[in-house]
Amino acid sequence: MTTIPSSTPGWSKVQIPRPLQRLFDLFPLRAYEPNHLPERSQQLTSSSLPTLYIFTTEEDARLGLPSFNPTCLRWQTLLRLTGLEFRVLPSTNHASPTGALPFLLPARSNSSSSSSSSTSPPSSSSPSQPPPPPPTPIPASKLLPYAQSHANPTKSSHPATSGDRLFPTRARAYVALVSSHLRSAWLCALYLDPSRSDLLDALYLRPASSSAAVRAALRRQLRKAAGEQILDSAPAAGALQSGSGSGSGTGEVGNNKSRGWGWSWQEDGTAINPRAVYASAREAMAALASLLAESKTEWFFDADAPSEFDAAVFSYTHLMIQYMSDGEEEAGALGKMVRRAGEGELARHREMLWRFAWPEGNGEVKEGR
Amino acid sequence: MVLRLYVWGPAFGLPSLDAECLAAIAYLAQTLSAAEYQLIRSSPSAVPTQHLPTLHDPSTNTWITDYTAITAYLHARRYPSSQPRHHASAPRKLTTVQADRAAYTAFLTAHAAPLLALYLYVSSANYGGATRPAFSSVLPFPLPWTEPPAVRAAMSRRAAHLRLSSLDTDSAAVGETGGKDDSAIPGAAITRKSQTGVAGAMAPEQRSRIRLEALAAEVFNVLSSADWQEGQQPPEARCLAFAYLALMAVPVVPRPWLREILERRYRQLYRFVKDFQAETFPEGVEGLPWSQGDADGAGAVAARFARGVLVQVPGLGTLWRQWWTARKRRELRLETASGGGWLVLIGAGLGMTAVGVGVWFYRTLPPFGAAVQVWRRPVASGFGAAGLLLSGALYGQG
Repeated sequence: MTTIPSSTPGWSKVQIPRPLQRLFDLFPLRAYEPNHLPERSQQLTSSSLPTLYIFTTEEDARLGLPSFNPTCLRWQTLLRLTGLEFRVLPSTNHASPTGALPFLLPARSNSSSSSSSSTSPPSSSSPSQPPPPPPTPIPASKLLPYAQSHANPTKSSHPATSGDRLFPTRARAYVALVSSHLRSAWLCALYLDPSRSDLLDALYLRPASSSAAVRAALRRQLRKAAGEQILDSAPAAGALQSGSGSGSGTGEVGNNKSRGWGWSWQEDGTAINPRAVYASAREAMAALASLLAESKTEWFFDADAPSEFDAAVFSYTHLMIQYMSDGEEEAGALGKMVRRAGEGELARHREMLWRFAWPEGNGEVKEGR
Repeated sequence: MVLRLYVWGPAFGLPSLDAECLAAIAYLAQTLSAAEYQLIRSSPSAVPTQHLPTLHDPSTNTWITDYTAITAYLHARRYPSSQPRHHASAPRKLTTVQADRAAYTAFLTAHAAPLLALYLYVSSANYGGATRPAFSSVLPFPLPWTEPPAVRAAMSRRAAHLRLSSLDTDSAAVGETGGKDDSAIPGAAITRKSQTGVAGAMAPEQRSRIRLEALAAEVFNVLSSADWQEGQQPPEARCLAFAYLALMAVPVVPRPWLREILERRYRQLYRFVKDFQAETFPEGVEGLPWSQGDADGAGAVAARFARGVLVQVPGLGTLWRQWWTARKRRELRLETASGGGWLVLIGAGLGMTAVGVGVWFYRTLPPFGAAVQVWRRPVASGFGAAGLLLSGALYGQG
């Protein structure tokens, strides 16, 4: 007869065998000195101009062309509108102190750059002296106050951004259209649509890694995150609808043939209906277009100069026209959707803002890729 | 044929405990006469769209879900009295009205919904004190075990970007009542808490009150700048605004921070809620055309419960939900069911096998808490004395 005790000892009571303990005590064998930052980091982070780190390519960064990420483009446009002089460098989320792009690195403190010659970087002029401490990066949420206090006052001729920074309250309701409907449509078309995986590769995955395995894992993560974001902003995007007349706001009675690609499955088993997402985006664009038609000036809300709201709308309409003009509207050709919204107000607005914020005109407005 | 609207049931003295359902009810009550529609208490697991509110039009056998889609459908079908009664001749252009409708709907969904989620779902005190009992009163047993936690999880995800999950003390290690169970020593309550002093004595809602007020102000400032009187806003946006504000202003909850803010600082919004409620539901909740659902049998409830449990199974739940959604989609689109029948058979077989194995395993378990006693008889002594000797040698028994 044997009796098994009903409770087993927990892990904390397990003794590590003495030989193993001795073996582990040997480690670490040797602790190295912490590495110094590479020399080039001094040069890269020191410039007479503040540096905006965004998602972009090397060539576009050199020319100061728009970013391909809507959030980055929004802040880039806004900074250009305030008249701040800055340079652009490509970066990734991992480099950001907040974990998100964009962020701005101010110019090195003026004392060091004025003592040495202002044209050459400080690290090459005085290699023996320790370089001045790097400036604190500025996250996106504090970009606008910084830009307004540091902008060149002679160039800043835009009362909409230099005045009160808050939107009028009606505008804040309209911002929700951009930040939920247009954003969901952009995420859906870029990340979830399998026919655009080449574009996704070119924009986000190839710069991130050269290994196919890493890229595949990254793609999966991005898709999952995008799907979650869409479902969180519009839970009904995952709901099932009857075939006929269910497109919200469109009232289209179609046969039930699903055009374009079908549903996108999430890892937790929920699905996203791209048609519902695109339908709400179309509605949002129609609303924005009519808002623009109502305005007395060419900018939103009767403003004399483009404001934050214009930059937010531009960041999506520009990228949608640039990257998503091919194909059918139902299949996520958001560029066509932008052009057809209202009487083409959004497309006109985008071209005007492009001319306004990129007056040097390096590169015409690119029409699709 | 009358339209059938499937909604979450009534609670807090309001016709529904969910904002979009409440908005849909208000919209129907305003635009249609009581003979033209029926309300059915339901839950997402009972309707083929798996989402509430859902409108079923029996004349075309169409299922429409989501508030904006329902209102758009009613507009498009031009229901006899669907031109809203209260909509005065619009002084503004029609496109502007439509644009405002879209903007305010998007704003409410994007900003008011997370705030309401914080108030009624994330906050443990309010969820346990008001929301959970409300769900229990509208759901048949045993569905309150599976559905409210799923709703709460979804709502927490919607409010996650506000970074106020500290209101949820269920998942936190230190509960607000954490010290009470070992109250033999009065000082023990204090030493056990990580936060001592004034902060430790405050409820999480009080601790983050400033941030909550800022969040609420963001939403209410925008809403109170618009005129919500009759005819000034499109009825779709009005109904939705009423629904979100009513769920903030009406329920009696243990930590009524949102109601306090609304009542004290945004009197006109508070009055709008009260006026709208009195005008749209003059006879209260019972005055609405409620109807008995058709899927309330014990078997249907059990199936819904089983599905709710199955979704929670790691790994299998995902596959199951994919298959189930695809099947429901085919049903809704009236496509011919291709395949899938054998999957049901396999699934049923697997399920029954699992239940059988479970029962067998349960019966082999000893009574809980008892020490296990194993009696072993010596091996049958087929070999006479030698066998006895051998078995004795093996088992150490004579």
